[in-house]
Formats: sequence, structure tokens, C-alpha cells
Amino acid sequence: MAEVSAHPSTGVPTATPPVIVGRSDVYRRRMARLGWMFTAPALFFIGAVTLFPIGFAVLLSFENVNVTGAGFQLNGLTTANYSLVLGNSEWHYALVFTIGFTVVTVLVELILGTMIALLLERLTKARGMMMAILLIPWSLVTVISAQLWYYIYNPTYGVLDSILSFLGLGNPVILGSNASAIMAMMAADIWKTTPFVAIIVLAGLVMLSTDIYEAAEVDGATGWETFWKITFPLLRPTIGLAVLFRVLQAFGLFDLPYVLTQGGPGYATTSLAILAEKAMFNDNQFGPGVAVATTTALLVVLGCFAFLKVFRAQVGEEV
Amino acid sequence: MATIELDQIEKVYPNGFHAVHGIDLEVKEGELMVLVGPSGCGKTTVLRMIAGLEDISAGQLRIGDRVVNELGPKERDIAMVFQNYALYPHMTVGENIGFALKLRRLPKEEIERKVQDAARILGLTQWLDRKPGQLSGGQRQRVAMGRAIVREPSVFLMDEPLSNLDAKLRVQMRAEVSHIQRQVGVATVYVTHDQIEAMTMGDRVAVMRSGYLQQCDNPQVLYDAPDNVFVAAFIGSPAMNLFEAGVSTGNGTPSLALGSQTVPLPDRVLDTHRGLRAYDGKQIIVGIRPEHLPAADGDAEAPLVGEIDLIEALGNELQVHFTIDAKRVLAEGPSEEDELSSSGAGVARVGPHVPARVGERMTFDLKVDGLHFFDADTGLAIRH
Ligand SMILES: Nc1ncnc2c1ncn2[C@@H]1O[C@H](COP(=O)(O)OP(=O)(O)O)[C@@H](O)[C@H]1O
Ligand SMILES: [Mg+2]
Repeated sequence: MAEVSAHPSTGVPTATPPVIVGRSDVYRRRMARLGWMFTAPALFFIGAVTLFPIGFAVLLSFENVNVTGAGFQLNGLTTANYSLVLGNSEWHYALVFTIGFTVVTVLVELILGTMIALLLERLTKARGMMMAILLIPWSLVTVISAQLWYYIYNPTYGVLDSILSFLGLGNPVILGSNASAIMAMMAADIWKTTPFVAIIVLAGLVMLSTDIYEAAEVDGATGWETFWKITFPLLRPTIGLAVLFRVLQAFGLFDLPYVLTQGGPGYATTSLAILAEKAMFNDNQFGPGVAVATTTALLVVLGCFAFLKVFRAQVGEEV
Repeated sequence: MATIELDQIEKVYPNGFHAVHGIDLEVKEGELMVLVGPSGCGKTTVLRMIAGLEDISAGQLRIGDRVVNELGPKERDIAMVFQNYALYPHMTVGENIGFALKLRRLPKEEIERKVQDAARILGLTQWLDRKPGQLSGGQRQRVAMGRAIVREPSVFLMDEPLSNLDAKLRVQMRAEVSHIQRQVGVATVYVTHDQIEAMTMGDRVAVMRSGYLQQCDNPQVLYDAPDNVFVAAFIGSPAMNLFEAGVSTGNGTPSLALGSQTVPLPDRVLDTHRGLRAYDGKQIIVGIRPEHLPAADGDAEAPLVGEIDLIEALGNELQVHFTIDAKRVLAEGPSEEDELSSSGAGVARVGPHVPARVGERMTFDLKVDGLHFFDADTGLAIRH
């Protein structure tokens, strides 16, 4: 489509280089095909290991499942699994516990993480090293860090236990009573994931240009005002991202109670994931167990959508 | 309203770099003082010290009748326009302008009124609800100005406020900024590396180089009587031609040897530059403004012949780049852009219809009264 257009200001015709649409179209299509070819193995793999199990799980949740020595026996579609779960008080408790755990830990991690990030931002020299040190808890596999916390909380040889008794505070069995077990678990989670939040917030902080702060200083803002009126609003997208990551993760809470308490004492630390696991592998209740897992996933997805919606409306507009 | 006084101000950065050396400067009430110099000479450092964003290593800074060395930016009652505006991206134009007032907890109606007033002065009324991201460069620049004027500070500080604008807008905003500054009537320090901006906007211009103040005066004085080679080369476009020349004031007609050519020095020139006599038989630096080299039309008092390298026709004049066999002196200047010439080359501004062709020799009518003389070692002007 070679064409001669008039220069807007002079009116003198100037030849623009010809663009041959047909050919570039063919080219683009060929590249697209090549792209699909390259990604196909990965897509197939992803499909096989994630999409299939997900689909199978959803199917299972609607099945009347019997587990026999020969494997699953599917006895026809039913919604009984769901009605069983939704009416179950253990499920109610697990839901409340998981949400409560998520809200508290994410909130604390956010506040602590932001404070640490603000501190780290001020450090110019040792920042890299401090970040590396901070990330150690985050880089540990949760099962391992949970095991470490188990050593701390252990009633016979635990570190915390001996500190408490040294201070004359007696020998409380930390993981043995509801409130202290929940708090101990929250502490372990906060210890592990605060650095992650700190790093994300720090990344957001570093991106803010320094002269905005200087402008605020010249405008007469105190440090407090600068944080709440400048830093925080500008960090909102970053903080939103951190919250999203954390909520997704916290909602699937499994490793900590699995290692520390197996959901106990009683049902005190039974999260939705623990409940599903118990139903399936302790009680052989595969149908209800999978129904728990499916509802949890659904809740998380819906929660995220709702969050993103609110979040977009607030800060998604061009800054 | 207040004056700004810098008294032997020094800056040594924590890494040991001595960026500013003993600057003395006084900005009067309502005056627009331009701080100009090549990039890296310490202009921003001086401005940031006045603002309180950078510690003052030594010396005294007074705003009004207060010594403000130890005061933070917000106690100095200054407003600053940053190079890239530093607007708050999450606030609307109105909120940006009103932010300082809000921090002072002025009543809402008063903030509203002042923001409206500032917006009217700056032609921003219809953009008040926009975010900075939705504005053009010129509009953002105006918001930055608005944020400064709305506070009615006693001092304005501006760091290259126009350097992010395109050439045309820059020229327009130049006039606008000086107009606003005049309207507000506040002592202003305006930093730029652009000598044309400095000349056109400054009530007075302070020229800096490598952390030292070179000369501070009104633009015409800087142009007519530069104190040293650096100022001579920095101010003016195209830049002043600087050549090495031999002085002879002893026996015979006083003259200058410019390469193999001899330029007579009439008594009136020696009378206005008495110091020249002391340089008899020595080498000095002679400065010739391009406009003091019109084309000769026969009876030139001091003809100077050069070979034409390049002709730039600007319509109203020709800029003729020529070579003579005198040694050219290069003073570091802003001249990267208008520096085309090799050693021995100069620029002359001649009438638009003078016949001139590249490669030919041309005779200029050197106006000896406009000559500048500098000591070859110190670079200082030779005058009385
Ligand atoms: N924070 C700093 N630490 C050390 N040296 C600096 C710092 N800021 C600026 N400088 C140096 O001080 C000199 C003057 O800088 P600046 O005032 O920004 O120059 P200008 O604004 O005239 O371009 C430069 O050589 C620069 O490298
Ligand atoms: Mg600068």
C-alpha cells in the first residue's frame, strides 16, 4: 500500500515507505504458528499436571465416591458432598479460623513489612546485606521452618519453654491450648513472610522519585504527613499486590498446622486445607474432602476478584 | 518578601568533593537572579543549600534578616520549582497547588480561593481536576509554578525549570516565568545552564564555573565587560572569538599581532585599556565578538583577512566561519552546540547580502573599540 501523502505543514508530497500488508500478515501468522509450536510442550505439560487434576477434583466433588482397594469407585453424580460440607460445624470453624488467620497475619505482616521497608530504604550502605539476611526466613521451605518453630514451642525441650520457665512464668504447653497455639502459629507465619512483604514494599519505595519527598519537605510536610499523604498513597498499588500474594498464600494455610499441631488442640488450628486433608486421608471421605478443597479454591478466586475490583477503582487509574 | 545573602558559602560533599567554593551573592527583594554555568559547576548545589535540602559546609546564609543555616526547608519560607517538576502524581492539579496550604491547615474556602487565583494567573483553571499524568510538559511546568506562587513565600528557587520543555515552548515559558516572577515580586534564584535563558530572564546573572563564582552583574555588563576569558566565552552566541595575540605599544604605532596580521591599536583603545601598555612585547588573549567583524567595504581602520570555511545564512545575517593563522584560545563554555570550528577558526556576523563563498578569502572590518583583552596566564580582563 505505497502511498504519497502531503506533508501536513508544507503541502509538499512526500513518499512514505511502502508497507505491504499481505506479506507482513503472512509473516505474523508464521511467527504465531512457530510460537505455538515452541510453547506446545509446556502447555501440554501444564495442562496435564494442573488442568486435569483440577477438572478431576471438581468432578470428584460432585461424585458419590467409594474408595476401594482397587482405587476410586464412582457411583454417580450427587451434590451430597457439598450439602454435607456446608452444613458441617467443623467446616464452619475451619472457614472462620482460616479467614481470621489470614486477616491477622496479613495485616501484621503488612504493617511490619512496611516499617522494615521504610527503614531499609534509609540504609544506603548495608541495604543489600540486610535484605539478604532478612530473606533467610522467606527462603526456607515452610515445612522446615515449621519444624524449627516446633523446636521452639516444644513443651519438654523447647527454647521458648525454657525461657518462660527461666523467667518464672511456669511451663505453659504453648501448642496445647487453643489461644496460645493459634498465636504461636501466627507468630511463625509472620516471622516467615514479613520479609517477603518488606521486599515488595521496598521495591515500590525505591521506585518513588526522591524529589517528590523534597517537594513535600519544602511544602512544609512533617515526616508523618509525608508518609500518609505522599508515600502511602503512592505505595498503594504495591501494597495491594503484596496483599493479594499473601492472601492467596495464607488462605491455603497447611504446612504450619500440619507440622505444629495437626490441626489441634481439638479443632483449634484446623484450616480449610487441613480439614480437606483430614477428610480425605484420615477418614477416607474423598467426596467431602474434595468439596472442601473446591469451595476453598472458589472462595479464594472470588475474593481475589472482589479485591482487584475495589483495588482498581481506587488506584488503578493512571497515576 | 526578603533578600537572600550568601556569605562565603562552601560545600564539601560527604565523599570529600568540594563542590562550591566561597560564594558571595546577594539577591535583592523582587530581583530575579540567574545562576548560570556549565553542567556540573555547582549551581544545583548552591540552590539546594539555599533551600535547606543540602547542608551548608561553611559560610553564612541569610534570608531576610535571619541566619537560616540551621533551619529546615519548611522554616525558611521558600518555594522551589524542581527540574522535573516533582508533582505529586496521585493528586489533582488543584490538590498539588493547594498541598502546602492544606498542610498549614488554612480554612478550606481560603485554600480554594488561593488555588483558583493561582490557576487563573497560570491559565490552569480548566485543568484543576486533572492528574499531572494527563498534562503536557508545559502544563506540568505551570502546575509546578502554581505550587510555588500559591504559598506566597519570601523566596523562589527554580532549578532549570524549563530544561524539559521543547525549544519553542521554552522560549514562550521564559517570558511567562519572568512575567509571573515580576508579578509576584519575590526574590528569586533561577538556575540554568543556558546562557540565553540567563541573559533574557535575569535582572542580574551570576556566572559559575567549577564551584567558583566568576562574575555577577546585569546581563549587559556581562556581555560588554566580562571579567575573564571564561565569562567572555560563556556569554554570547555565537561565542566570542578568542585568539592569542602579541602586544606592541613601544616604538612605532601600537598594534596587535594576530598571527601574521597586524591590527593597529589606536590611542582611544589604549586609553580605555591602560593596562595594555604593561604587556608591551608580551602575548595576551584578544577577544572579538562576531558582530565586531562586519565585511570590510574598502576603507577599514583595521582590516582582518580570513579564509572562509563555512557560511550559515540565517536570513537576516550570514555567520561566516573563517580561519586565520593566529592561535585560537578555547575556554570551556556552553559552546558544544555552536562549536564547529577547528583551531584558528572564528565566526563573523556579516550582512545577508555580502558576497561570500566557502574557500575564498574575505576581509573583515575589525571594530577595534569592541576588542576585549585578557591576561594570557590568569585569563583576567585587562582594563585600566
Ligand atoms: N551528593 C553528592 N555527592 C558528591 N558529589 C556531588 C553530589 N551532588 C553533586 N555532586 C557533584 O558536585 C558538582 C556540582 O553538582 P551540581 O550542583 O549538581 O552541578 P550543576 O547543577 O551545576 O550541574 C558535580 O561535580 C557533582 O558531581
Ligand atoms: Mg543542576
